[in-house]
Amino acid sequence: MGQAAVSVVTLAVVRAPVSLPLTLVVALVKGVLVVFALATAAAYLTLLERKIAARIQLRIGPNRVGPGGLLQPAADGVKLIFKEKAAPAGRDRVLFQIAPALAAGAALFAFATIPINRTICVGGHGGAGPLSVSCAGGYLLHWDLANVNIGLLYILAVTSMGVYAIFLGGWSSNSKYSLLGALRSSAQLISYEMAVSFAIVGPILLAGTLNLEQMVHQQQGLWFIFLQPLGFLLYFTAAFAETNRLPFDLPEAEGELGAGYHTEFAGMRFGLFFFAEYINMVTVCSIATVLFLGGWLAPVWFLPSWLGPIWFVAKAGLLLFVMMWVRWTFPRLRYDRLMQFGWKVLLPLGLANIVVTAVFVAVR
Amino acid sequence: MSVIFGLAAAVAVVAALGVVVAQRTLYSALALVANMVALAVLFLTLDAQFLAAVQIIVYAGAVMVLFVFIIALLSPGAQERLHPLEARVLIGGLAAVAFTVVVARLTLNGVSVAASGRFYGRLGPFAPVLVDRHGQVQTLGEQLFTTFLLPFELSSLLLLVAAVGAVYLSRRRRAS
Repeated sequence: MGQAAVSVVTLAVVRAPVSLPLTLVVALVKGVLVVFALATAAAYLTLLERKIAARIQLRIGPNRVGPGGLLQPAADGVKLIFKEKAAPAGRDRVLFQIAPALAAGAALFAFATIPINRTICVGGHGGAGPLSVSCAGGYLLHWDLANVNIGLLYILAVTSMGVYAIFLGGWSSNSKYSLLGALRSSAQLISYEMAVSFAIVGPILLAGTLNLEQMVHQQQGLWFIFLQPLGFLLYFTAAFAETNRLPFDLPEAEGELGAGYHTEFAGMRFGLFFFAEYINMVTVCSIATVLFLGGWLAPVWFLPSWLGPIWFVAKAGLLLFVMMWVRWTFPRLRYDRLMQFGWKVLLPLGLANIVVTAVFVAVR
Repeated sequence: MSVIFGLAAAVAVVAALGVVVAQRTLYSALALVANMVALAVLFLTLDAQFLAAVQIIVYAGAVMVLFVFIIALLSPGAQERLHPLEARVLIGGLAAVAFTVVVARLTLNGVSVAASGRFYGRLGPFAPVLVDRHGQVQTLGEQLFTTFLLPFELSSLLLLVAAVGAVYLSRRRRAS
């Protein structure tokens, strides 16, 4: 010990000599803010989804609660909380309780290493650029919960825990629809995790780092989507499957399985699964923004670069809109086609992308 | 720091006991998952972030998902109860004692190093000074492809053999 001051609560290696209480307070405040922001985003994404669905189907959508339906998510939340928590008799009581919490927890944890702005120096000179961090006499403020040099691996690790929530939720319900949904989702998530991992190797090779903030710095001038168009398409396609969204929403295909793995969950227990799905959407869109769309960098050079978080939210929001657009436009795939697509199309394409990128990086 | 170490260590020990004590196989497997996550937190307190992430991705995320999957579907040994004086319990107990001796020896070693504040011997490739200079993943990758190239390639060959074997087994069953 003593080689580097390590603050484990934020999972970050703090290089600057900052007092531990300050680090803890900042981590706590940031954590509360991120959870609050994600919860609000998830709530309002449900409203946005219904509005977009209505628009596509030539309807108006929810417009009764509050001006233009803006208080609809609050009404939904209150309804979910006060609903009877009906539960099947033969359930596994412990796991039935834990699974929804695990789903929401894994979804919230995953966001910890995503930077929504460049690191700034508060009350001192300096700042952070590519490969250099300096902050004389001030506090180095990271715009993520944990600025770690394995940021991307951390996200993969935490999202892989989400499989447990879905599988245990379906299994503990003691219901055939739930179990079928859980089985499908486990197979699907494991298969498409491979596709996601392969797709993100391209940006990793180009940037030469796993630190998400450094990856964005590497995209100054040219976003990776222009160097990795195939990688982006692969990632975004697999992301639909990772978040159980149509056209890959087989785990909860309502036409055949009721609601899949969360058929038997009622009230806020169902709410947590629902909540996790929308937070996962925010997370995968944010990762795509960081890896391929230049994160907080301004879209065009003449726009002000200090509006970083705004650009970040705008880019992630655009991807979220595309996800919703696709859901209300495309039909659901058949299950065997889904697995074939994952293993026989996405995976070989991902491998080819890695090889081509590696050659490009080697001769560059 | 030590608070987090204490919490993670307590979770790891309780979960490890849970693996052995739990009556239902699925709960044993889930306790093993909790144990692995707690170990990953311990790796984090040692500033081994890459190892922590890989521990969760590979063990908790991939290997144990398949375990849980198979246990939940086939529930092997659900009716089976262990008798305390069975041969395998005795053998397992002996192995546990032997392992404890090894771990205790290493721990005492570590305590003496921490007490004297000095480390006698050569600094390995993963000395904190070097890791801090080059970055964790970079150092590990460099070492894997230079110093430890042969073991690395051999273990990848082993995995390849396992994959080919799995494909072969599934093929043959379909033909018969």
